[in-house]
Amino acid sequence: MDNFKAATILLVEDDLGDQKLIKTSLEQGKIANKILIANSGDQALEYLEKSKTGTNGFPFPDLILLDLNMPGMGGKEFLRIAKEDPDLSIIPIVVLTTSDAERDVLESFQLQASGYIKKAVSLEGFQEIMSHIQDYWFVICRRVEHAQESCTPAAGALG
Amino acid sequence: MDKKQQCVVLMVEDDPGDQKLMRYALAAHEIPNNLQIMDNAEEALAYLDASINGDEGKPRPDLILLDLNMPGMGGKDFLKEIKSNKQFCDIPVVIVSTSDAPGDIEDGYRLHAAGYVQKRLNPKELRRVIEKLANYWFVTSCLVKDRESMVCDSV
Repeated sequence: MDNFKAATILLVEDDLGDQKLIKTSLEQGKIANKILIANSGDQALEYLEKSKTGTNGFPFPDLILLDLNMPGMGGKEFLRIAKEDPDLSIIPIVVLTTSDAERDVLESFQLQASGYIKKAVSLEGFQEIMSHIQDYWFVICRRVEHAQESCTPAAGALG
Repeated sequence: MDKKQQCVVLMVEDDPGDQKLMRYALAAHEIPNNLQIMDNAEEALAYLDASINGDEGKPRPDLILLDLNMPGMGGKDFLKEIKSNKQFCDIPVVIVSTSDAPGDIEDGYRLHAAGYVQKRLNPKELRRVIEKLANYWFVTSCLVKDRESMVCDSV
């Protein structure tokens, strides 16, 4: 009954240290995730435009983990654009940020984030967070199946 | 996030058996939660209206658990209503349904559900599911608190 199929996660994060911590934590979980990393909101949207059209090597993400504070397009702007796009609105977007300001929490949920998680300060902390994320999204939640499971994913960072 | 803060959960579920199972499963979690059970979507909407009018016995929910198939207003129409209302659109809504029809799952996410969990009828399994759900929403995620102080000048 559990849904252990490999999932594709798009991480939108500009900090290289956090990228590494999150990727490592996700890879140590029990679910085989394909982790794609975009360094900015603009880069993530560029990627999603290609995955929308079913371009080979650009699998449609099952989940997006989104930093808020990034140079260029910020996380909230990305969230707004993604949730207004009928093709992208079905992807759950979880905010993962250092900010725990009440205003950021409220605005993210108003923009239809599917969770708001404050970044941990240690690898162990990140592992606990990622294990709860994986348990929720990939063990107990059903997700929209996409038609292009078999194509080869673009490995590692996008650019 | 304040892990000790009590979470208010609004469950919209018409089946008394399922209500009971879910109540037991939630009560087993380490984070205390205030569970409000609504028998149908209309009752849940009335509860939400009362909650913004400062009714003390009706605290604003931090999370809504929503069944899809109910007599009267169905879960999808309820979701549409909540998400188009500025007062409530920030409350995460998780669908908990027996249906695993791809169309229901897709509609749910399209209507901004923050998760789609298939209902389990085996109490042990259900408890395991609710534990993971509660770990994600009550332990890991921040929830909107103190909304009233920000609402007048928010987005």
